[in-house]
Amino acid sequence: MLPRAAWSLLMRTGGLGTRGTHSPGGTAGSQRKRISPYVDCYAQRSYPMPDEPFCTELTEEQRALKEKEKGSWAQLSQAEKVALYRLQFHETFAEMNHRSNQWKTVMGCVFFFIGFTALVIWWQRVYVFPEKVVTLTDERKAQQLQRLLDMKSNPIQGLAAHWDYEKKEWKK
Amino acid sequence: MAYPSQLGLQDATSPIMEELMNFHDHTLMIVFLISSLVLYIITLMLTTKLTHTSTMDAQEVETIWTILPAVILILIALPSLRILYMMDEINNPIITVKTMGHQWYWSYEYTDYEDLCFDSYMIPTNDLKPGDLRLLEVDNRMVLPMELPIRMLISSEDVLHSWAVPSLGLKTDAIPGRLNQATISSNRPGLFYGQCSEICGSNHSFMPIVLEMVPMKCFETWSVSMI
Repeated sequence: MLPRAAWSLLMRTGGLGTRGTHSPGGTAGSQRKRISPYVDCYAQRSYPMPDEPFCTELTEEQRALKEKEKGSWAQLSQAEKVALYRLQFHETFAEMNHRSNQWKTVMGCVFFFIGFTALVIWWQRVYVFPEKVVTLTDERKAQQLQRLLDMKSNPIQGLAAHWDYEKKEWKK
Repeated sequence: MAYPSQLGLQDATSPIMEELMNFHDHTLMIVFLISSLVLYIITLMLTTKLTHTSTMDAQEVETIWTILPAVILILIALPSLRILYMMDEINNPIITVKTMGHQWYWSYEYTDYEDLCFDSYMIPTNDLKPGDLRLLEVDNRMVLPMELPIRMLISSEDVLHSWAVPSLGLKTDAIPGRLNQATISSNRPGLFYGQCSEICGSNHSFMPIVLEMVPMKCFETWSVSMI
């Protein structure tokens, strides 16, 4: 019981699912449909009513409270109801479903590595890459484009299809 | 040839390439449908609070997602095979041109009437004239008559190469010791570029193919001048 509790706190995802955990009372002779016993002893959103209560060893006071629970519940104060809930269940639904701040850590690391990569790429551009080829100057690129238009390359749906040969400009 | 910011295939210059473009549209549509369906289901799976921990089997949906992919594959296979057989139809070419791949250039042989053979080397970047396309221009282009079927016999003198011209929908391996046949039929005149498409050594990226499709008169003048 205790080691599983510590492990569950570490995992923070509702605990280790232990397969083959049989609920007390066995499976023989049970007619009603069981939710799968593939959970540990703590309640989860998908398995809200565990078989065993959270606290099984009760102090004197707690035993007295359990006795009072057998009577009319209207006589229980708010604090007593909360205490009984805490005896029965490990966490409230609000506690078990609460969001974490993990996403901030994840996004922070993502942005950090993107920034680091940007620095590496900048360094490469300055110290590693060779000179650009002469055909990549604007003048040569313009001449290549003019030649492509002159030879009417891709005249159906591609480049020359978007050029207006009468007005010598791109089609609107 | 390819132009800047191009997204799709180059415009079709032969009827087979038009068929291939339509087939590509059809298949890509199927791929997009499947991908968007899967993406949608993944987002549904990841954003639901519902759980179901006692699933044993799902016979109906298993049947569907076995039969449906088989049907989709048939829908892709039938047009594909149709085009495959269409490429090998009898079409009575007017001439036969042979091209041999070498390391690292192509050589062309027009031997039906006279003996015309020449090599086609890439023009180095430093020797390009303004307006020429880097890594695509050659010193001797392969000139052919347009709008007529031409038989290409493709082979290699040393290692594997592949003779490819995307706008005509052609890509045929050049295998030493083997003759592969392709058919060229261009709808319009112009220059059509391609590159070697089988790794063949250090200059594999530097042995392009340029087809110059011209009217028959120009072709006759050219071939006389080349002999």
